[in-house]
Formats: sequence, structure tokens, C-alpha cells
Amino acid sequence: MVAYINLRLLSATGKLLRLPSIHEPEEVWPSQWSRGFCMVLVESVPSTLCRQLITPLNVNGTASQCGIRRLPQLRPLFLSAVSHQEAEASTGKDFSHLPPMPGQDSPLRWAGKKFEELPIIHIKATYNNTHIQLTDSAGQSLVRTSCGTEGFKNSKKSTPIAAQTAGISAAAKATVKGVTFVRVVVKGLGPGRLSAIKGLTMGGLQLVSITDNTPVPHNGCRP
Amino acid sequence: MARHLRFIARTVMVQDGNVDTAYKNLNRMLTQDGIIDAVKRRRYFEKPCRERRRKNFENCRRIYHMEMARKIAFVSRTNREDPWLGC
Repeated sequence: MVAYINLRLLSATGKLLRLPSIHEPEEVWPSQWSRGFCMVLVESVPSTLCRQLITPLNVNGTASQCGIRRLPQLRPLFLSAVSHQEAEASTGKDFSHLPPMPGQDSPLRWAGKKFEELPIIHIKATYNNTHIQLTDSAGQSLVRTSCGTEGFKNSKKSTPIAAQTAGISAAAKATVKGVTFVRVVVKGLGPGRLSAIKGLTMGGLQLVSITDNTPVPHNGCRP
Repeated sequence: MARHLRFIARTVMVQDGNVDTAYKNLNRMLTQDGIIDAVKRRRYFEKPCRERRRKNFENCRRIYHMEMARKIAFVSRTNREDPWLGC
């Protein structure tokens, strides 16, 4: 049984900010869940996926589910100050959509490596090009490809197909170096954002997690 | 985000090699957080005058939609106890 984590933030201004609930679209989850889920009311917390103030709460059968976008009624919001706990694996495979935190020792291993030791693929998807770089967990670069190194020029670099070829070639070079499981970090909103990931999978790499590291300035430099 | 811990926020695990679902989940999370919107808006500079007008407009729009949804939910109630019981 999968445990879902639903978060809702009510900011100090009274605006209803919603943190998304992550659930698999195929499952009919209201009828299947029998374990607790987390709901939190946190005031004046920035609306990022901040996991420090998430609370677990065993409210079996409480009807309020903020997963689907329904009519914006105020749900019963529970406030407590317990730190976040991951879902306990009971019977069968228990998959948490959130990554294992560095402090926690989770039993998940990929090719014998913990989550923090997996190599990282950085994908920088700009509006004109897509760069893919494979580094190990420390940051040492192993493989570097981009649409330009694949032979595309000028405007052809800013296409999803070019990003896909770059992904395939990066995956090929990575398998030569003996890399199988990777984490992906995506930066930027460009045309090659999704197709680079697709190219990596097509090239034979196994993705463990996808992170988004798009730089969002808190009103820094003028764009 | 050099000052933040990495791989905590904005991260989705891939289940059973289902990259598409994971990416969709990630996208949904980001849109609901307003990050995609903010990034698109910051591509070009938005003058403070236009920004104030847009924020005001979005506030009014949000209030209007909330109230309208409340009204629709209220008006479309069908199964309820008899309000005129006893008369």
C-alpha cells in the first residue's frame, strides 16, 4: 500500500497555496488507502517542497484529500510539529515518491549504491541548446555531450530531436564507463527538457530520480 | 540553488522505470508551486507597473472564481434535508 503525502500551505496572507499531492494516476486511491497520510497546515512557510515541517498523521478514512483539484473548500487542516517520516514498508512494495534523505538510512540500493552515491546527470535545457553532463556523486565530470557536439548547428540545436540524440550518445558513453543507475537533474525550461531524459532511457541508462534545479531568483538580476 | 541541500526539494523518484509518469508528476508539482510560471515570466523583464497590475488582476480573478465555485456548489445541492420541515 502506498502512503500519500498531501501538503497544503496557508500563507500568512490568507492565499491558499497548494503543495501538490503526488499520487499515481492509475490507482483509485480514496478507496484503497488504509494507512495514514500526512496533512499539514503551515503558516508563513515558503511554498517550496520543504520537508522539514511535514507531519505524519494517522487519520484513517478522513475524507479530505487534496489530491484532486476540487472546489476550493477549506478542508480540515491539522497542525502538528513532528518531523517527516517516510512510509513504513508493510506488505509488498512500498514506494515513496520522495527521495531518501541523507540522514535517513533507507534500505534502497541501486547496484549496491546508496542514493547519495549514485552518479548525477545534469541536463541544462536552454532555449537554444541542451547540454548533458554526467558526473559522479562528488562532482567529477565523466561524460559531456550537447546538441552541438552531436553535429547539429544553429537553430537545429534547439530541437527536441537534437536533445534526444545527445541523450542517447551520453547514455552510450556512460555505459562504456560502467554506469547503470543515475539521478537526473534538469535545469531550465527548453525544448530539450523531456526528450533528453527520453534519450537517456533509450540509450540504456536507468533513471532513479528526476530533480528540477531550474534557477529561480528571488528578484535578483534583471533578466 | 547552491545554498540549499540538493536532491530534497523538487525531486521525484522514478517507479519501475516509469519515467513519463515521474516527469508528469514533477511537472504537476512545479506548476502547482508556480515555479514554471515564474520561470516563464522571468525570461523577459516585467516592468514594476505591469507587475502590480497583473498581481491585482490575479487576486481579483482568484476571489471571483472562489466565490463563483462556492455559489455553484451551493446552488447545485440536491440531496439535503427538507428546509421547510414543519411548515
